[in-house]
Amino acid sequence: MFHSINFSKTMLAVFVASVYIFLYTPIMVLVLYSFNQGGFPDAWQGFSLHWYQDLFQSEEIWRAFLNSVIVACVSSFLSVSMSILLVHGVRHYKRNVVPLFYVNALIPDIVLAVGMLSLFSYLTVPLGLTTLIAGHTLLGLGFSMPIIKGRYDELDKSLIEASLDLGASMRYTFIHVIVPFLYPAILVAFLLSIIISFDDFLISFFCSGSSVQTLSLYIFSMIRSGISPVVNALSTLLLIGSCFMLFIMMMLQRNLFRD
Amino acid sequence: MRFLKKISKSDKSFFFMAPAIAWQICFFFLPLLFVVQLSFCSDLFQNVSLEYFAQVIKTSHFFVIFRSLLLASITASCCLLIGYPVAYYVALCAPARMKSKLMFLIVLPFLTNLLVQVYAWFFILEKHGVLNKFLNFVGIDVGHLLNSQFAMYLVMFHVYLPFIIMPLYSTLEKINIRLIESSLDLGASYFQTFCRVVLPLSLHGIKTGFFLVYVTSFGEYVIPSLIAGQKKYFVGTLISEYFFIGKDWHVGAAFTCLSSATFIVSILIWQVALHRLVDRLQRA
Repeated sequence: MFHSINFSKTMLAVFVASVYIFLYTPIMVLVLYSFNQGGFPDAWQGFSLHWYQDLFQSEEIWRAFLNSVIVACVSSFLSVSMSILLVHGVRHYKRNVVPLFYVNALIPDIVLAVGMLSLFSYLTVPLGLTTLIAGHTLLGLGFSMPIIKGRYDELDKSLIEASLDLGASMRYTFIHVIVPFLYPAILVAFLLSIIISFDDFLISFFCSGSSVQTLSLYIFSMIRSGISPVVNALSTLLLIGSCFMLFIMMMLQRNLFRD
Repeated sequence: MRFLKKISKSDKSFFFMAPAIAWQICFFFLPLLFVVQLSFCSDLFQNVSLEYFAQVIKTSHFFVIFRSLLLASITASCCLLIGYPVAYYVALCAPARMKSKLMFLIVLPFLTNLLVQVYAWFFILEKHGVLNKFLNFVGIDVGHLLNSQFAMYLVMFHVYLPFIIMPLYSTLEKINIRLIESSLDLGASYFQTFCRVVLPLSLHGIKTGFFLVYVTSFGEYVIPSLIAGQKKYFVGTLISEYFFIGKDWHVGAAFTCLSSATFIVSILIWQVALHRLVDRLQRA
């Protein structure tokens, strides 16, 4: 009996290990090739950083990167602040409107992207950074709303009452009691929205027009035209970036559950 | 105006909620409504006709919807079958100090740019890629791996696996391990314990994860267009073709509506099927 428990547990561990290997093999190969002296079809020709040099000298990539950063930061800021306001405003409401935002996950992105494109072009809104920000803010809302709502529900409402009883105004209470309590959730939602916006392809593809390029769109066009180790270098840096963000998010989440 | 004044006097919280709701209406519900309008009317909300739908049904593009449904179903089922044991192991079997590290490795691909993941597969699947080199070394010649259905399913599976493991992990982690132990102590076999204790308790995670994968993979654009080649259309690639190359937005919108409607029906069917499956296993 004990033998069979151990055996099945070992089998499960082996299975899980092979899934992890499957998940990470392509990424490892990708990272490895970014340090290769030669181009892709060649075998390993020695360690070199010259693809990274090329990456930092490419103006097009920097422009795409800058666009992505602008869109990600503005849309995350907008979506998180709107989520905070809504979650705060909804507290006295009889009808809960928060589920209104959960529908976003049920509609495939492409349908939404097509809808936005046709609406923008009907209203003759020029496609560009503004339309991108509008779309990404909507994506961010769907992710940040549940996180912030979850944290707000944990807030002991008597804290607000105590603050109001002791003579603080609602605005003072909001800034000094509610927002500090929500702070870790706000940060997690903000980071997640930034990542979602950075990674988004479809909304950017439809709503950016021909003039503005984001990092995802740039990589897409590069893949279409063939493999270049510069993209490997870029991908490696993006991977390190998501690693870093995820690390911060997990630390924050741990603090969230501790108190 | 009077309406606004009334609201502002009675209820300040309305103004807190207004931006988010306005945003949601303007950029979510309005675009969807617009697509529906586009598919029925030749002018804005006028001249309603079913002509565009007839055009869609006339073309063989109708089968594209079924191909995408198949793609989404296979991807979601495979991810569930492979992802469940992984989530189970990480949540219930792995040593406590390893848990967060293992989950870190699951979430990381989820937060990595999809394009980066797809790009990574080129190095494995290309003619001169790692897999082909290995297979040639062993003595098997499979020719082109890229631009095949197999390659596309492989990449879909790879990309969407983390999507299903995360919700499964969060429900499995909440299961009290004593429940499993007592079930085993009372004489149930592993299979019985799994079917009657673990499975029903994790049903919520199964549904969340399954539909997360199902919804996102149905409209997938990047993987079919980059990996599967130009031969076969899927819903995502066909819609973007209508809107970017064909420029026939009305027919494109009709196709979008038709595929969304079929898709919603299929979600309901899957929901019933999943419940049935879990029910049957519970009685086994």
